[in-house]
Amino acid sequence: MQNPGKVNSLSRREFLRTSAAGGVGLAALGGAPARAWAAGSDTIRVGLIGCGGRGSGAASDTATGSEGVQITAMGDLFPERVASSRRALAEQLGDRFRVDEDRMFTGFDAYKRVVESDVDLVILATPPGFRPAHLRAAIDAGHHVFTEKPIAVDPVGVRNVLETASIAEAAGLAVVAGTQRRHDPRYIETMHRIHDGAIGEIVGGQVAWNQGGLWHVERAAGMSDMEWQIRNWLYFTWLSGDHIVEQHIHNLDIANWALGGPPARANGVGGRQARVDPSFGHVFDHFAVELEYPNGARILSMCRQQDGTARFVGEHFMGTKGTSDGQTWIRGAMEWRHRADGEPVNPYVQEHTDLVASIRAGRPLNELRQVATSTLTAILAREAAYTGQVITWDEILHSDLDLSPGELHFGAVPMPPVATPGITQLSRTPFAHSRDVTTGR
Amino acid sequence: MATDRADGQNAPARYTESIERTLVTIEMMPVPGGIVQMESPDGVRTVRVAPLWISRTEIPWDVYDVFVFGLDRGVAGADAIARPSKPYVLPGEQFGHQGHPAIGMTFVAAESFAAWLSARTGRRYRLPTEAEWEQACRAGLEARPASTAPAAWTRATSEERTRPVGTSAPDGLGLFDMLGNVAEWVVTDAGDPVAKGGAFTDATEAVHCGARRRQTPAWNASDPQLPKSRWWLPDAPFVGFRLVRES
Repeated sequence: MQNPGKVNSLSRREFLRTSAAGGVGLAALGGAPARAWAAGSDTIRVGLIGCGGRGSGAASDTATGSEGVQITAMGDLFPERVASSRRALAEQLGDRFRVDEDRMFTGFDAYKRVVESDVDLVILATPPGFRPAHLRAAIDAGHHVFTEKPIAVDPVGVRNVLETASIAEAAGLAVVAGTQRRHDPRYIETMHRIHDGAIGEIVGGQVAWNQGGLWHVERAAGMSDMEWQIRNWLYFTWLSGDHIVEQHIHNLDIANWALGGPPARANGVGGRQARVDPSFGHVFDHFAVELEYPNGARILSMCRQQDGTARFVGEHFMGTKGTSDGQTWIRGAMEWRHRADGEPVNPYVQEHTDLVASIRAGRPLNELRQVATSTLTAILAREAAYTGQVITWDEILHSDLDLSPGELHFGAVPMPPVATPGITQLSRTPFAHSRDVTTGR
Repeated sequence: MATDRADGQNAPARYTESIERTLVTIEMMPVPGGIVQMESPDGVRTVRVAPLWISRTEIPWDVYDVFVFGLDRGVAGADAIARPSKPYVLPGEQFGHQGHPAIGMTFVAAESFAAWLSARTGRRYRLPTEAEWEQACRAGLEARPASTAPAAWTRATSEERTRPVGTSAPDGLGLFDMLGNVAEWVVTDAGDPVAKGGAFTDATEAVHCGARRRQTPAWNASDPQLPKSRWWLPDAPFVGFRLVRES
């Protein structure tokens, strides 16, 4: 094994642990966590958990977005995912990719092995249902985190992550989430103006992610329920949260950003009309949900994944003095349009650049509470449509809804029924297991 | 396949291609053969181009969707050619869909479309060579009929979006949007992909028969996957294509 930096990095790892523990004490005393990076030139070692296209892309973006960042460990449930990701990353990154054979892990516990290896930062890019356990493991180990969105699929998972956020905050750990619009100068500059009152008080708006269908993996002979569902994770609520949580969270996050917090209640409709074959699991293919914010503003959230239908992805806000698309223009009392200067910023890379810069500066960005709030917003909207009931923020925040399937192994996993408004209850445990069984905690 | 009379000594007759089990059609127009002066870093080269057919418009979404979404499925052999992945976010989806030129496909995807159409129709379609494309473009500039429609959709006329195919002024061969609307994938002599003719995003002076651009990393910078899609260029709403068939 060639790993000349191993001895040094082990000692740095010990430093990180000590330093993280020290951060807790300082935070408890009310001071800022003293976690300045040991030296600006030190290499940041990254472990990738979830080696699909997005995880591999995030690893590439991390390594190319800043100097001195190296991918050193990787894990995925499926061996061929690790192999293909390794090939693609090695070709893309050259010497920024140094994953030895004994730092490649597979199986349901692969995330534990990556977290235990000699890394400073982990990328979490598995299907969202696994995220609460992975986040806790990474933060408990004292690692900084880039986490894809959403960070959970149900309220029990979100509350777990909110606890993890507190631990990360106390330890001075950085967490950046894959809600990349938060790192896009167009959105940042527009939101800055909206928050300064450019359109007055927001009274209404629309947020949408309407598109066609997505990829789908045929069930091969001999494939267990568990493998089939995980390979088709988009179509199972315990894995993806449904497309309103997995995809439309981007736009709901923009609504929360504009309004300064989550909605007070939700009421909505949804169903499954075009994508009805059981090979597409049990998720809906369209939602339309009205979100009422504490100031009375009403935001219409609309999303669908139906082939051959009109596409639109974006946002629109109406205020007492004007309107805005949240990302490029403001009209009304103020007339403004974003003009890019110089090279366009790629927010998918910028989020990693910002994360690494915050770690090195000793001022760790922590977006975990923010993305947990937007995840729960999307779950609230989903459940309003699934149940056909008006659901409040407090109800969803304290709900015992737990979608976890029990013990994770390649075997039988029944498919829950498609939700039926008026019959489906918010308080449900479709697999009649507690999350402790799923996560082993 | 419907044909009407031959309208030139060099040229075959125009015809309308259709795809079984769908309602979409592609109008194919004759292009006379000729000599093209191609500018290159080594000076001007003379290339002889044989008569051929070229599609009258850029391939619109209505036709490309049949390929992407398998709207012709159920036909024997329809799946012999690899089809694009389902698009995540399409470039320029705010421009409009029906009647608008299909955009943001990779060169490989455009080539695959030609292979698929050939398999489906039994006639051999492909992307134009750069010389063939320039011959059609230059021949079309001659005897251009008077029209009140804009000669080309450029930054000056397009309002920063693609326009439905067939809404600019036709050229002397009856072709639309050889110049402007979207730049079109062709194959150079060296076998490289380039996009020809300028686009709705370009200044008027950058829209001409010799205009060419090569793909850059900016064309798919916002694809967050690795490997990036071999089918889609989410940041290239200015690229489309049309097809030729040898006569």
